[in-house]
Amino acid sequence: MKSLLNRNEFYLAILIAVLCAAIGSLNPHFFAPQNILAFLKTSSVNGILAVGVLFVLILGGTPDVSFTAIAQVAEYAVVLATLKWGGNVGIAFLMACAIGAALGAINGFLIHYFRVTTIIVTIATFNVYYGLLYVLTGGGVVFVVPTFFKKFGESLLFSSHDAAGGVYGVSLVTLLWFGALALGWFILRRTFLGRSILAMGGNEVAAERMGLRTVAIRLFVFSFVGLLSGVAAIAHTSIVLSAIPNSIVGKELEVIAAVVLGGASLFGGRGTILGAFLGVLLFAVLRNGLVLLNISSYWYDVTIGAAITIGVSFSAIQQLRARRAKVNVIVTEAA
Amino acid sequence: MNAPRRIAHGFADAPLVAILVAVVALMALANPGRFLSPGNLASLAYQLPMLALLSFGMMISMLTGGINLAIVSSANLTGIVTALALKALTGGDSASASMLFVLIAMAVGLLGALASGALMGFLIAYLEVPAILATLGVMTLIDGINVVLTRGYTLSDFPDALLAIGNGDVLGLPAPFILLVVVVALLAILIRQTRFGFDLYMVGSNLTAAQYSNINVRSVLMRQYMLSAFFSALTGFVMMGQFNSVKSNYAQSYLLVSVLACFLGGVDPFGGAGRLTGMALSVVILQVVSSGVNLLRVDPFFVTAMWGAMILALIAINHFVGQRARSRSAAAIMTNDKDIRLAAGGADKGKIEERR
Repeated sequence: MKSLLNRNEFYLAILIAVLCAAIGSLNPHFFAPQNILAFLKTSSVNGILAVGVLFVLILGGTPDVSFTAIAQVAEYAVVLATLKWGGNVGIAFLMACAIGAALGAINGFLIHYFRVTTIIVTIATFNVYYGLLYVLTGGGVVFVVPTFFKKFGESLLFSSHDAAGGVYGVSLVTLLWFGALALGWFILRRTFLGRSILAMGGNEVAAERMGLRTVAIRLFVFSFVGLLSGVAAIAHTSIVLSAIPNSIVGKELEVIAAVVLGGASLFGGRGTILGAFLGVLLFAVLRNGLVLLNISSYWYDVTIGAAITIGVSFSAIQQLRARRAKVNVIVTEAA
Repeated sequence: MNAPRRIAHGFADAPLVAILVAVVALMALANPGRFLSPGNLASLAYQLPMLALLSFGMMISMLTGGINLAIVSSANLTGIVTALALKALTGGDSASASMLFVLIAMAVGLLGALASGALMGFLIAYLEVPAILATLGVMTLIDGINVVLTRGYTLSDFPDALLAIGNGDVLGLPAPFILLVVVVALLAILIRQTRFGFDLYMVGSNLTAAQYSNINVRSVLMRQYMLSAFFSALTGFVMMGQFNSVKSNYAQSYLLVSVLACFLGGVDPFGGAGRLTGMALSVVILQVVSSGVNLLRVDPFFVTAMWGAMILALIAINHFVGQRARSRSAAAIMTNDKDIRLAAGGADKGKIEERR
C-alpha cells in the first residue's frame, strides 16, 4: 500500500478520475462511448510517440526532441511515395518505420559517438530533418492522400450502432497505440534488452562494467523511438488525411511532459508504460473537457501550460520527499 | 572576486576570432559590395541586439547548469503587457502617450517578465523541478497567456519614444546597440566583480560544494532566473521598436539560435563555465551568418537546417579537438559520459545526480 502512495501513476489515475467525474457531471456527453473512443483515437499519435519518449527518458540524460521532426519526415515521404508509385497500408507502414528507424539511428550514433547530451544533438537533428523537409518539398501541403489511409483510419473493431444510426467502435488507429504500449511493455519487462536499458539508465558506468554493450543498447533505443515515430506518422495521416509539413512538429514538448507526469525520471532508470499511457490520457481528457465545456480555444495553451507546470512540480515534490525519506533511513541506520 | 575557471588558458577565444574572420570573408565574397556596405553594417548593428540580449539571458541560466526555454515567451509577454498597459493608461490613444505613461507601461511590462522569472526560479530552486521541464511548462503557460491577452491579434500604435529603443539612433549609433553595449558592460561587472556573479559559477560547477560553502543556492537560482527574465524584458522592448508591433508568437525561432549561441560561445550546458567574450564573439558570428544568407535570399528553412548542421559540426570539432589536443577534462565538457566527467574532476557525483 505504501509503495502505491509513492507512485506517480496512482495519483495520476486519481487525478484523471476526478477530472472525468467533473467534466462528466457538467456535460454527460463526455461519458458517451462515441466521445471516449473518439478522443482515444485522436490521442493515439501522442500516445505512440510517448512510448518512444519513455524509452529515451529511461535510458537517461536529457530528452529527445527530434521525434516529431522524424514523424513529420516519415509522413511526408510516405504520402509522396505512395501517391507516386501506389501501395497499401502495409507498404506505407514498413516505409514509415524504416525511415523513422534510420533517422533515429543517426541520432543514436551521433549521441554515442560524440558523447554529447541527447537534447543538444536532437535540437540540431530536429532542425536538420525539419529544415531539409521544407527545402526539399517546398513546404507544399498535400490535401489528397491515397485512399487506403482513409480506409485504415475509418476501420473499426467491435463496431456498434448508436440511436441515430451512426457507427462507432474501436478504431484501428487506437489499436496501433495499444499495440505500441504492449510492445513497449514487453520489451521493458520481459526481455533482457529491456533490463539492460533500465540498468544503463540507472548507472551507465556500472552497466558497461557488467559487460552490457552500451553502444548497441543506445542505438536500439533511438532507432526504436524513430520506428515509433514512423508508426505515429501513419496514425496521424490516417486521422487528418493530409500531409502538412508542420502538423506534427510542435507536439514534442507536450509528449515529453505527459511521460514525465507519468513518473518517468529525467535522471534515467525509472519509468513505466502505465505512466506513459496515463500521462497522455490526462492531456486527452483535458483537451476533450475544454471542448465539451465550451471553453474558448484561447485558453487551451494556458490550461495545458498550467497542467505541465503543476504536474512537473508535483512529481518533483514527490521525488524530493522520496530522497529525504532515503536520507532519513540512512541516518537511522548509521545511528 | 574572480570567477573560478578563469585560469590562464592563453587566448581561449582565438578559434572564435578565426571563425568570425572566416564568416565575414565568406559573406563578403558571397555578396560582393553589399555585405560590407555601410547600410548593411548598420542594419547588422540594429539586428544584433535582439539575438544578443536573448543569448546572454540564456547564458546566465546555463551558468548555473539550468536553461531558460521561456526566454522568447517572456520577451513577447513584456511587449504585450507594455502595449496593453499603455492602451489602458491612454484610453486607447497609445501613439500619443506622454513620457510618464510610457515609463509606467514599461515598468508594468518589466514586472510581467520578472514575475515569469520568479515563477521559474521558484519551481527550480524550491521545488527542485529540473530546469528544462520547469521552463518548458512556464513557456507553454506564458505563450497561452500571451494568446489570451492579445486574442491572437497583433497590437501596434506605439509612441515614438518607445519605438526608439528598438529603431532609434543616438549620435549616429543605433539605440539598441548602445543599450546592448551598456547592458553587457554591466553584466561583465556583475559576473566578475560581485558575490552573486561568483555564486553563479559556483552553483553551476559544483552544487554540493556550493551548498557546503554557505552559498544560499536557492536564492542564487531565484535571482538568476529573474535576471534571465530581465534580459527577456529588454529584448521585448527592443522587439517593440523593430517589429513596430507585438504579438503572441514573434521571434520563436530565436530560442534555438540562443542555445546555439551559448554552445558556440563555449558555455558549458552543465554549468560553471562560460565567458562573456566568447559569447560576444559567438552572437556576432551568428548574426553575420544570418544577415549574410539573408542577403543571398536563401530559403529560411534552409537556414533552419543550417543552424542544426552548425551545431553538429561544432560537436564534431569539439570532439576531435578534444581527443587530440586537450586534456580529458576539456573533452568532458559537453559530454554525457559520467565516467569521463567523474575522472575529469570537473563534476562530482552529486552534481550529476541532482542536476537541475
